[in-house]
Amino acid sequence: MGREKEKEKLSEKALNLLRSRLSDPNFIFRPLPDSPDSNYSKLKFIISTSVTEACNNSILLLGPRGSGKVAVLELVLSDLLQQYPEAISVIRLNGLLHSDDNCALKEIARQLCMEHQLLFSKVASFDDNSQFMIAMLRECGLAHKTIIFVLDEFDFFAQGKQRLLYSLLDAMQSVNSQAVVIGVSCRLDVDQLLEKRVRSRFSHRKLLFLSPSKEDTERFIEHILSLPMDSSLPHNYAAEFNGRLKKLLSDERFKELIDTYLSFNFTIGHLVRFLFQAVSYMDLSAGFLSLGNFKTALSSNQRQPKLECIRDCSVLELYMMVCMKRLEVKEQASYNFYSVMTEYKSIHDSFQTSDYYAANVCLRAFEHLLQCQLISFIDNKGHNQSVEFRPVKLLISSAELHQGLKSYQQCPAILLKLMDR
Amino acid sequence: MFPILVYGGPSTGKTSVTLQVFRHLNRPFIYSSCITCYSPRILFESILNQLLFHRKDSGHSYSSLKRCERPSDFVNYLREALENVITNLKGNSGKVSSKMSGRPDGTMVYLVFDNLECVRDWDKSSTILPFLFNLNDILKMPEVGLIFISNTSPDTYYLNIGYAEPIPLYFPDYTEDDLRHIFMANQTNSRLYASFLDVVLRPFCRVTRQVDELAAAFSSLFKKYSEPLSDKEVAPNEEMKRRLFSHIRPHIASALNETFQVRSQPLLKAETNQETKKTNSSRMPGVREDFDKIDFHMSTSAKYLLISAFLASRNPATLDASLFDSTGVSDSHKRKRKASEKSMDQKEMAEQELLMKGPGTFPLERLLAIFQCITSLAEDSLDEEESHELTVEGGSRGLMSDVLLQLSSLCNANFIIKGGSCPLEGSTRYRTAVSEDLALKVARSLKFPLSKYLYRR
Repeated sequence: MGREKEKEKLSEKALNLLRSRLSDPNFIFRPLPDSPDSNYSKLKFIISTSVTEACNNSILLLGPRGSGKVAVLELVLSDLLQQYPEAISVIRLNGLLHSDDNCALKEIARQLCMEHQLLFSKVASFDDNSQFMIAMLRECGLAHKTIIFVLDEFDFFAQGKQRLLYSLLDAMQSVNSQAVVIGVSCRLDVDQLLEKRVRSRFSHRKLLFLSPSKEDTERFIEHILSLPMDSSLPHNYAAEFNGRLKKLLSDERFKELIDTYLSFNFTIGHLVRFLFQAVSYMDLSAGFLSLGNFKTALSSNQRQPKLECIRDCSVLELYMMVCMKRLEVKEQASYNFYSVMTEYKSIHDSFQTSDYYAANVCLRAFEHLLQCQLISFIDNKGHNQSVEFRPVKLLISSAELHQGLKSYQQCPAILLKLMDR
Repeated sequence: MFPILVYGGPSTGKTSVTLQVFRHLNRPFIYSSCITCYSPRILFESILNQLLFHRKDSGHSYSSLKRCERPSDFVNYLREALENVITNLKGNSGKVSSKMSGRPDGTMVYLVFDNLECVRDWDKSSTILPFLFNLNDILKMPEVGLIFISNTSPDTYYLNIGYAEPIPLYFPDYTEDDLRHIFMANQTNSRLYASFLDVVLRPFCRVTRQVDELAAAFSSLFKKYSEPLSDKEVAPNEEMKRRLFSHIRPHIASALNETFQVRSQPLLKAETNQETKKTNSSRMPGVREDFDKIDFHMSTSAKYLLISAFLASRNPATLDASLFDSTGVSDSHKRKRKASEKSMDQKEMAEQELLMKGPGTFPLERLLAIFQCITSLAEDSLDEEESHELTVEGGSRGLMSDVLLQLSSLCNANFIIKGGSCPLEGSTRYRTAVSEDLALKVARSLKFPLSKYLYRR
């Protein structure tokens, strides 16, 4: 008994270690910058040259979500802050929060004030803030201090009039300043969205973050999931864990599994999320990762939500969906609750089913279908009418409906017959 | 931690399981439901109030600690508040074991967002939803965990803007066996209830499988089921089960056609009176006497107004003159012709159109004209009957402002919907939102012959 408890405690510790590793972006992306032409070293080179040579620069980091753009950027910035502690200040903006110009300038002013221990006034107007920013740029330029602007979700800043981008890039060109503008975005064509005057002031430097190759992926998985030998865990437990892990990773089925997952989601971010789920399913009494953990994680990611919804429906709701399908087959352009009810009544009259319920119960089933989003209103403007009269449409195809009916327990045979017609 | 999305049908236990897990593990969490916090500002302020331990009370006239409308302000305040809370937690964990002192475990703070599907209907949902899902990346604090609870599956949240998908966790609906287990728990006489469930569970499951609706229906049915038993504690044998089944059978059919509502108290008493009346007379299965009465209170002029609105929506405007002439007698009998084949087809098409279009719109003047005709009719008929409890007399003559007030309260109660204004005429048009059943009930309570005035094509 005591040994089992000890083993469980050990495996819990190992689990916590793995989970905290997987949630920490710094750890994940650090092994990648080994090679000299990786994005990390390129980015570091660009920023450090503009710091040392006192020039302006702008660059775009592009790549799908989860490929590590912001993580690599943070690594570079933390390294540079250690190298040149007094010469850099960083301003961070996010497109989701600060796409409005007023908001963005207020945030820039606030962060500048925090950096340089000045008092920030909340009631400063837009003009005050922009003048303050230009003044700060000039001062920092004279003092040989570089300001780095990190614009996350850059495509949001490129919506609308792009006033902020223009004023920022313009200030960089005209004022005697030292600034680097780094835009981070998931849209690979974001520079096409820029206006002509903004684009001309932007140096067209782009760094693409692509997904790693297959061997890199395998090495990465092994690196992340192996327990370190010098941690607080006992040596033989860690060695056995790593040995089993190696055997698992070289198993053919495991490789197939990873391939299936990566064919849908190919970025490191997705892979890490998958590993997190698999590791969380680890059996604490056994204390080691097994193939079953990964299989469970894969199946929980491969859900089919609409089929699950159909399985959760009651028989009356299935009737209503089949009625709607029949109305569509009859090529009725649009249908609402009452036309579905007439179809329901005609089915009952012709087939004498036992499932005939009153209108208010059917309305309740109809609203439940609306809530599950198996059907939806055709337009959103019809708030003038009550629910029964607004036209609706089915959100699942007839093949899906058919599959759902087949997998439904105790589905009445009449429904399948009606679908087949 | 990665954000988690817990999803499943209504009343499958998502919120209760989540809260129970947190209470059992004794971890600190912030709970906010997107139904009670129905706009971004209220949501942000509620979260900040909980983090800063600020309670809204009459001392500060129910205001929040910080006013926060935009997501950018929210992120700044949130970061400050979270850092405070986390340093407190870290300080506490260093001290004596927290189980003794009653403080929560661990150094992580969790934010629980319930009823996330309501956010889709907000005005700013296209910016708020990706903001919430990306909150983890924006904050970049590993000590914060996000949990979203939703009634709809994750594919209903897909937007043009991508976001880091949360880990999905599915709560399936209960099967029949599960439902049986749920209802059998906490029953005093389990064998009696088991025989009851044998009878009712299967037919009701064909209509709905949601626990809340079934519970409302079963509670009233079980009372009826155990009526003939004098001793409620006895375990039934086969013969008794058969008797009870035949007693309850007619009620099941009528209960299936009811929407599963919990009735208000006075109606329950009225029901028991009606029940005694029913057992005395011969029992007719399927008769729903209690549905002839409307179960809310309306003043007489409001009822007349509702009927006039229904007629105005239902009948075309050109018929008003003939239906409501000065003597108040309807002329529809004169126009009956033999229906030919062509007109039958036309009738069907017209009915289809009527179904699709719904009730028509009418301007205010037409409504008031019909109202005056109807109420003058009613006065005449009441005078003829020499009834004493007249309430209409004072209502219809000259008190137009009263009627307009009634109209606005009917609009607020969603009996009449105010439509957009017609650009040519410039006046607003109204539309009825009541069903024919309700209008007939209201008319019956006033003894008004509604069917004579309804236009049948």
